[in-house]
Amino acid sequence: MLTDTRYQRRKRLALLAILGAAIAWIAFDALLGGSAEWARVISRLPLLLTGSGPAWSIQGGFAFNVLMGMLSMAIATLLGLLMGIALLARNAWLRRGAFMIMNFLRNSPWIVLLFAMLYLLPHRVELFGTTLSFSPFFKAVVGLSLPTAANFAEIIRGAVGSVHSGQWESARSLGYGTAQIYRQVILPQALRRMIPGWMNLYALLMIATALATVTGVQEVVTLLRTTLAMESETALVYFYLTVLLMFFLYCYPIALLARRLENRTKGDAI
Amino acid sequence: MTARNQSLIELDGIRKSFGGNEVLKGISLNVAKGEAVCIIGPSGSGKSTILRCINGLIPIDEGFVRVGKHRVHEIRHERGMRPLRRQVAMVFQQYNLFPHRTALENVMMAPVQVLKHDPGEVRERAIALMAKVRLAGKESSYPGELSGGQQQRVAIARALAMQPEIILFDEVTAALDPETVKDVLTTIRELVEEGMTCLLVTHEMRFAREVADRVCFTDHGLIVESAPPAALFDTPQDPRTREFLSQVL
Ligand SMILES: Nc1ncnc2c1ncn2[C@@H]1O[C@H](COP(=O)(O)OP(=O)(O)OP(=O)(O)O)[C@@H](O)[C@H]1O
Ligand SMILES: [Mg+2]
Repeated sequence: MLTDTRYQRRKRLALLAILGAAIAWIAFDALLGGSAEWARVISRLPLLLTGSGPAWSIQGGFAFNVLMGMLSMAIATLLGLLMGIALLARNAWLRRGAFMIMNFLRNSPWIVLLFAMLYLLPHRVELFGTTLSFSPFFKAVVGLSLPTAANFAEIIRGAVGSVHSGQWESARSLGYGTAQIYRQVILPQALRRMIPGWMNLYALLMIATALATVTGVQEVVTLLRTTLAMESETALVYFYLTVLLMFFLYCYPIALLARRLENRTKGDAI
Repeated sequence: MTARNQSLIELDGIRKSFGGNEVLKGISLNVAKGEAVCIIGPSGSGKSTILRCINGLIPIDEGFVRVGKHRVHEIRHERGMRPLRRQVAMVFQQYNLFPHRTALENVMMAPVQVLKHDPGEVRERAIALMAKVRLAGKESSYPGELSGGQQQRVAIARALAMQPEIILFDEVTAALDPETVKDVLTTIRELVEEGMTCLLVTHEMRFAREVADRVCFTDHGLIVESAPPAALFDTPQDPRTREFLSQVL
């Protein structure tokens, strides 16, 4: 306990030192003429955030990253749930099949999956006379949700497996059937343990949305590489720094909250 | 469904292996209605496995298991085990309460969800049982907020709420602090005195001598000796029993 609080204090001091250094560096840099570059960044901030110049309508930019992240997460949660159920199924073939798909997706580099979507999904399909066209946005969302779903399935399997085997035994000895045991005993306990992992996964996915630039979707990195490519080289450094900061400010609080929840579930009995 | 004898529980020549490890090598045991039988023996001798064969938590490889009118070794499906599980309750060393439910909910869950009894009636029964195990007032505590001894008594109340004919106790005091052991043993003693059929695996030799009608000593998957407590503890016949008792007494 004692060493734990001392460790926490040191960690806080280290973080403060880093923050202080960053502020000092920015102030110093501004004195050396960096302020002009910052002004450039600020004038283009609406573009970075929404993909459209001065008007605040969402055409891309960081908002697209957020949107892609949320959509992919929603799809991944649904797919991952199905895959997770298959992983726990009594039928051995279903289980093995799900296991192979999950491991394949979990061990593929995300960027390769995104490129694969580019070539696997057609530009448009004719269905009952109506033409569906797959936009880069759609492809990016599919490409991102696949590995996320596989990771979520593994989180589900881990959480269910982490419930003590004594819970199964006592529920069975009370006459519960398998489905009832999942519903009444295992899932309520597993769910609590899944949530931190799910949140971490979302933060990870959010970071990975930057990779979607390979599909040509107008997200923030694509903007940096196209619309903003004619900025001066020094200005670009500031633009990239700003984008890094955006991702950090969005993802870090999620990771923090997840860690806090995780610590709380650790205190659970059994 | 004829009983081969009058016992409530009848085990005949049961064998069980885990992988290549033969854990039970022909266990035969009869328990009559209202009888309290204690099983003692060294760690790993198969005591817990015997109990788990009785309520079908573990399928046996060979032999005959009957509880009341249920021939346990013939039941192939988990679903077929349900009527048996209503008749036989089990209390575990690690309590195995459901940590996400309060003490009272733990006691009420199975009668309502499995037996489909009326919740209002079950609630009254559960409150009475909590009082019986001397935990009145702890109804809305979560297992994590209770001491080991209190959790174990909730587990006993949970078993009783199923209105079983038989209760299997698997070293229920082994994980407890010495002070709380007494409360749990008192609760069990009362059940035995009320005539509940009990099969107890225990390391508490004094307790076994007090409450048991019969004590069985197991070693390496066999029941080596079985006798009334006075005989088994004072004049053990088998050298292995003598050696074990000299170590634990
Ligand atoms: N599910 C299982 N899978 C594999 N081996 C098992 C399993 N359950 C029990 N065993 C083995 O069977 C043997 C007997 O186990 P059991 O739990 O019945 O012993 P015990 O007499 O209850 O011991 P203890 O006093 O330590 O509880 C042990 O060697 C154990 O390793
Ligand atoms: Mg045991």
